[in-house]
Amino acid sequence: MEAHYVFPPAAAYPLNRCLYRLKSDAAFRDRFLADPEGAMAEAGLPPAAREPLRALDRDRLVALGAHPYLVFMAGLRLRMAREPEAFERF
Amino acid sequence: MARPTLAGYDGSVPLVGAFACAHTPQLLLRPPTEDRALVLRVHAAFAEVRRRLGALGCDALAVIGGDHVEGFFLDAVPALAVFVGTEAAGEFGPYRYRLPVHEPLARALLEDGIERGFDLVYSQAVALDYAFYVPLHFTMPAPPVPIVPLYVNVYLPPQPTPRRCYAWGQALRAALDGRAERVALIASGGMSHFPGTDRYAAPDHAFDRQLLQALAQGRGAETARLTGAELDEAGNVELRTWITLLGAVGGARAEVLCYEPSWHHGNAVVAWSVGGG
Repeated sequence: MEAHYVFPPAAAYPLNRCLYRLKSDAAFRDRFLADPEGAMAEAGLPPAAREPLRALDRDRLVALGAHPYLVFMAGLRLRMAREPEAFERF
Repeated sequence: MARPTLAGYDGSVPLVGAFACAHTPQLLLRPPTEDRALVLRVHAAFAEVRRRLGALGCDALAVIGGDHVEGFFLDAVPALAVFVGTEAAGEFGPYRYRLPVHEPLARALLEDGIERGFDLVYSQAVALDYAFYVPLHFTMPAPPVPIVPLYVNVYLPPQPTPRRCYAWGQALRAALDGRAERVALIASGGMSHFPGTDRYAAPDHAFDRQLLQALAQGRGAETARLTGAELDEAGNVELRTWITLLGAVGGARAEVLCYEPSWHHGNAVVAWSVGGG
């Protein structure tokens, strides 16, 4: 059985870097929220990855070599930015 | 045989305490998907760790954390790393944190580790992931004490083997036992969860419970024989941080302060009594 977390293929580096920036770079995340096309172009994302990233389509992103954790946390961070009131802080 | 005399005492203090803590982000920022009562029960266990850390009078907390591809991205992926700076900083959502680092201790652990054959990476500037912050948010005693962040690669294959993590923990214990500071170890991570995969809603709680039973019997050394494939299959890639700590605590029996299985996570808080405590 395929492992849940596998070696990230080098060809997917731009995609994983873009997910990493959505997760960890607040300014980039804001640009993505305001202008996804512009942010994805800035990140040098291959055209095939753009629609799956806009939709945060996990299965297609992982099929393109995205690391599942990065997809997960990029999605969570986007949601935290969009709906901060939905989260209770401790 | 001559009795040891005060004059022969080198001033070293054995490790004073050891804890393992979940760092589930939903414990810090609770979305509506979470059972609030469960979250508060885990907080209560964290509060008990905080109370014990305060009672131990620590000079520093050495925190073994699995980086969530935050401090280290694919540009450079160390298996094991030590943060040797003056302070460690990071952010998670609305939280911005800066924590003083015990630089002399961090440097000593790095240098001692290298001498013992561990080819450690070190950083003076890497971002501090929430894996380190979440447990410290809830367990840092008052007044706060400096930390030493110890990184273990858990998410980017190939990760260090459980055997290697356990050996690193044994080396850490030897180094810590030779230090004058009162130091407690905290492993951050786990238990079973599968973030970003189609198993996210199906953690392996049975694996967790069986493991906790073994740890309560002082059988932590058995974790060194787990394989990376077994950890991945059980949603326990982060257990490498615990295995490192288990190398340091040896045969001490674990006290399970809580195990709270949520729909996506086995939330555990565990304590070990060790020599200097």
